[in-house]
Amino acid sequence: MAALKSKDRFKGKSSEKTWLTGILKHKIIDFIRKKYREPVFEDTISESRLPDDVFDANGKWETGPAQWASNPEALLEQKSFLDIVKKCFKALPRRPSRALALRELEGETTQTICKVLNITTTNCWVILHRARALMRECIETNWLEVKD
Amino acid sequence: MINHWMFRCKDVSYLISQSMDQKLSLRIRLGIKFHLMMCDLCSRYKQQLDLIRKAISKVETEKEEDPFITPLPGQTRKKIKNHLKTL
Repeated sequence: MAALKSKDRFKGKSSEKTWLTGILKHKIIDFIRKKYREPVFEDTISESRLPDDVFDANGKWETGPAQWASNPEALLEQKSFLDIVKKCFKALPRRPSRALALRELEGETTQTICKVLNITTTNCWVILHRARALMRECIETNWLEVKD
Repeated sequence: MINHWMFRCKDVSYLISQSMDQKLSLRIRLGIKFHLMMCDLCSRYKQQLDLIRKAISKVETEKEEDPFITPLPGQTRKKIKNHLKTL
């Protein structure tokens, strides 16, 4: 596409092949840059984003969390439940996963996590919030399937 | 006026997570408490996040007992961690 757009600028100084691979190279670099750029988060609570929008326009739960068990603490003793937790933890996107691991497994403070991930404190909270919300959703979906 | 005191579920779900990472102001803590008293879904959300926290550390400690995975010795881990902090 980019080649078609700028075909007038191609002066025939180089072969078509090097010209096209040159464009491809730049496109790939652009793509990688975009991928690793800091995602933009809004700096306010109300704009904190969940994986899906689980709230309505008034900020109320659309359906809300489901009940997992009559005695949730007992789930910690069930292998099938812990297996799901493990699976969901592995399935988290890279940054939420790293942030949550630093927080819950290494017991790091948010200040340290921000430093390690090179993000602002607010972003840190948003990422941890997202990580937990994603974990919760993943566990719920998988657990309700197993349970029934 | 009362609306400024009342948090929405969306805000509370974020604040519940934040409260797990740092101490919030008295006003916010009271606001959460007040909301949780009236909102079963948010109460359940909080309970589930607490459970997830416990489950994650449980899953991880069990993993370290796996004979096929030999974690770095505690001292080395600490050294690396401290080094990272100074960066």
